[in-house]
Amino acid sequence: MLSPVNVSIESLNLMTLVPMLIPIVGALLIIVIDLFKSEQHKSLYVMLSLLVLGVDFVALMDSAGVFQKNGTVMGVFDVMLIDGLAILSQFIIVGASMLFIPLALTHKRFHEFSYPEFFALFLFMIAGFQFMVATDNLILVFVGLETASLALYTLIAMHNRDKSFEAAVKYFTMGALAAGFFSFGSMIFYALTGSVEINQIAAVLSANNYEDIAFVLIGVVFLLASFGFKLSMVPFHTWTPDVYEGSSAALAGYMSIVPKIAAFIVAMRIFEFLIHSGVVWLEVILYMGVVLTMTMANVWALVQTDVKRMLAYSSISHAGFVMAAILIGTTQSNSALFLYCILFSFTNLGSFSMLWISRQKNLPAHQQSDHSYNKFAGMIKTAPVAATIMALFMLSLAGLPPFALFWGKMYMISSAVTGGYTVLALIMALNSAIAGYYYLKLIVYMFMKDPIVEDGGHVYSANATLPLKTIIGIAAIGTIFAFAAVNMLLEFITVFVYNSGY
Amino acid sequence: MLDHILSILIFFPALAAMLGFVVNKESMRSYGVAVATIEFFLALWLWFAFDANASGMQFMEHIALVPTFGINYIVGVDGISLFIIILAAFFTMIGIASLGETKDVKNMIITLLFLQMTMVGVFAALDAIVFYVFWELSLVPMLYIIGAWGGPLRIYASVKFFLYTFTGSLVMLVGMLFMAYFYYQATGQWSFAILDWYRLILPESFQPWLFVAFFIGFAIKVPMFPFHTWLPYAHGQAPTIGSVILAAILLKMGTYAFIRFSLPLFPDASVYFMYPIAVLAIIMIIYTAMVAYAQKDIKQVVAYSSVSHMGVIILGTFALNVEGISGSIFLMIAHGVVSGALFLLVGVIYDRRHTKLMSEFGGLASVMPRYATIFGLMLMASVGLPLTINFVGEFLSLLGFYKQSHILTLLAGTAIIVVAIYMLAAYKKMFFGVVTKEENRNLPDVNKRELIALIPLAVITVWLGIYPKPVLGPINTSVESVVQLMHEKAISQEAKTRIPNLDILINKTSAKEAH
Repeated sequence: MLSPVNVSIESLNLMTLVPMLIPIVGALLIIVIDLFKSEQHKSLYVMLSLLVLGVDFVALMDSAGVFQKNGTVMGVFDVMLIDGLAILSQFIIVGASMLFIPLALTHKRFHEFSYPEFFALFLFMIAGFQFMVATDNLILVFVGLETASLALYTLIAMHNRDKSFEAAVKYFTMGALAAGFFSFGSMIFYALTGSVEINQIAAVLSANNYEDIAFVLIGVVFLLASFGFKLSMVPFHTWTPDVYEGSSAALAGYMSIVPKIAAFIVAMRIFEFLIHSGVVWLEVILYMGVVLTMTMANVWALVQTDVKRMLAYSSISHAGFVMAAILIGTTQSNSALFLYCILFSFTNLGSFSMLWISRQKNLPAHQQSDHSYNKFAGMIKTAPVAATIMALFMLSLAGLPPFALFWGKMYMISSAVTGGYTVLALIMALNSAIAGYYYLKLIVYMFMKDPIVEDGGHVYSANATLPLKTIIGIAAIGTIFAFAAVNMLLEFITVFVYNSGY
Repeated sequence: MLDHILSILIFFPALAAMLGFVVNKESMRSYGVAVATIEFFLALWLWFAFDANASGMQFMEHIALVPTFGINYIVGVDGISLFIIILAAFFTMIGIASLGETKDVKNMIITLLFLQMTMVGVFAALDAIVFYVFWELSLVPMLYIIGAWGGPLRIYASVKFFLYTFTGSLVMLVGMLFMAYFYYQATGQWSFAILDWYRLILPESFQPWLFVAFFIGFAIKVPMFPFHTWLPYAHGQAPTIGSVILAAILLKMGTYAFIRFSLPLFPDASVYFMYPIAVLAIIMIIYTAMVAYAQKDIKQVVAYSSVSHMGVIILGTFALNVEGISGSIFLMIAHGVVSGALFLLVGVIYDRRHTKLMSEFGGLASVMPRYATIFGLMLMASVGLPLTINFVGEFLSLLGFYKQSHILTLLAGTAIIVVAIYMLAAYKKMFFGVVTKEENRNLPDVNKRELIALIPLAVITVWLGIYPKPVLGPINTSVESVVQLMHEKAISQEAKTRIPNLDILINKTSAKEAH
């Protein structure tokens, strides 16, 4: 006979669920509003989402306070794991989403934003990402990942262009494959250890001293492939440029940050103990992956003729750069990952937003694609302010001091030096130099060439409204004055990462 | 105010540049000259207030920037950097004052003022990361100047300039991060402060690696053979003002950084690499001198001769004794004055004829006598005629290296004869003989605006050539303490003998060992 289960409601610690529930409730609210009174203007939904995300952010600050006092909190049958990593990454996820959502208030009318479902799906997606980072249970990771991914595929497809359908289907197919790999890898670990909790898996594996190393490696290969897809590591990156090209520029910028940070956290949780287990093979594979991703993506970015595709390849390269943090695996490198992601989100979201405000509905004759380089030729003459801001983002992406990304790059390379990866540090430095070329190419077009169409300045801000300009202004200020915030961020991040035991 | 004079010197031009966006296009030139003149007088005030007898850093400022990671805004000035800062302020002033007819003159002046901020910043920074920030930031205005106002190949030249330097400095950044890590290991604290690093004694086995990492960054900037290929393009395409600033100040960043970083941080490695670098420097002197002789374009002659003289500066620096290093710093200033003036002079004739080919000229001495006189004076200075500014620097640099190696110094000395040959040949082609081209017959002589720039340079050339002490004195004091520091930090016996012991007391606190 089964004994009755006695669970006190306190031990469930339901408060750990609050940050994820807030966007879910918000999403449901949006659907309910649509049910009662449809055909509302998009600004209503944008502001509602913003409010919900704001509340979410405050809830996160709350749990950050709890973490600082009591350390890591477990909840809901120990499925939820609210440690420093979870809190930091949720801050980035929610923060970047708050910067993203006002970009829907464009001057021109775009199909997807007229549907309230867009915003509901968006909030569901955020909840999915939040679940993904706030657990070490592989099943919940899977659930969160799929919730978020399915919502994201739909968001891409709603842009309603031929290319966006292509992008959504491509992303969906690749994502499904990755999900298959993920579940297969988790299954192998479950078979080996009898648990789906990462810390249990680590404990069992180290207790039997990695007896079944062959099976462990097979499991690792599957997980690596699945994260390879999600993080667009070479050679699993092929979908990225097409998907970025197909989705709206704003969403592409968003995709280069938020889904990746969620995947990075899970990868960090899984690979951290495996790398420290002394399995040399994994380190070699990861090393190669990091170097290949950085270098190859850079080389491909060099030959692009479209700025958006160039930025897509560049964000693959940046992902490789960040992945190095997981390979190095010290407290400093993990802190560097967060610092890098925060600074990157300002800069990259800013540069994609600059493309977004110059979005045209119809292609003029001299352009092969929507954001080809020659569209930006001579921009300094026709739209000097926009050109300067764009150049600022490019210089920051190239890692030129004192702009935002320089500090992330510097701290990351320093962590490689400190962790004993001297060659990797040099490769990272040289890759930054290669990357300098294609960012510079855009600056050359903007500042040193003559405009193709006379008086074409309005093109560059055709889509701009006050909210969009505000977002770009925030991104620009964040990029310029990053040096003032780096110390505070670094202290905050290091405490959180260190106290989570990473 | 004197407590913050360096910060004012650094950020005043930047602030002025930002306000300059508001200034009307017609008045921009006067605004630029006014700002640059104020900056120059501030720099002179710095010199006036500078204590020439103290060897250490003066006017230091310290503001925490990222204290968790040991990055602080630290600036200070000593005899080594003082005169280069003044030179930078001086050249920006006369550069703007003598600016010829330029399109988008407003953008040009704003860019020049930003460039001035980065230049002063590099020479005043005493924190490696702050140094790096200004060092990298200086690329952007120069990129724009070459790329927007340059010749037909301007985009290729500007991108090449940017990428070369950018690549080198990223390797240097890795070296800096290593230094900070060693400091962290030795003391348990992160620090990027150069003065902290000075106290660190690195094991002999690490020094060569770090030396090479820094060397790549600096050597590309100087530019040393074989990294010099970007410079002729940059000079060939840049507008006059770009070439002047590039040759007079930006190249000095590299040689200055050798003295600020490489020598005191890695004394053993400096001795270890002394001969290889000297050989490179001599190749640079002789090879570029020969290349200069083969040029048809007067600007390329000046550009290659400028590279050639940078070789002498490197040679003097790696003499590793007081005469050599003082001489090389003095030569940096001399080279700035002379090559800056020569580029200005080339600009004068280019404005009139829109060509730089020497074959297009001939007999200019009779058409433009004042121009020919000033050109002749600067040319003599460039050749190293005694009683001109270059002679003092070259003589001291070679004297310093003579103590290390007789043969190499003799080789470098013969190269100076080659300099005389091609310079005089170029002068002969352009100025003597009969006027062959009809267009040259009625060329106007130098006008008032150009004289404003050229006369002060001519005066300095002769004045410091005859009486170099006001500049050489403070330089000497600071160099002595650097050499003494190197001697005390040196580990190997060879380094101890190569670097002389001056038996002076430097204000050092106990040196720490890194593991």
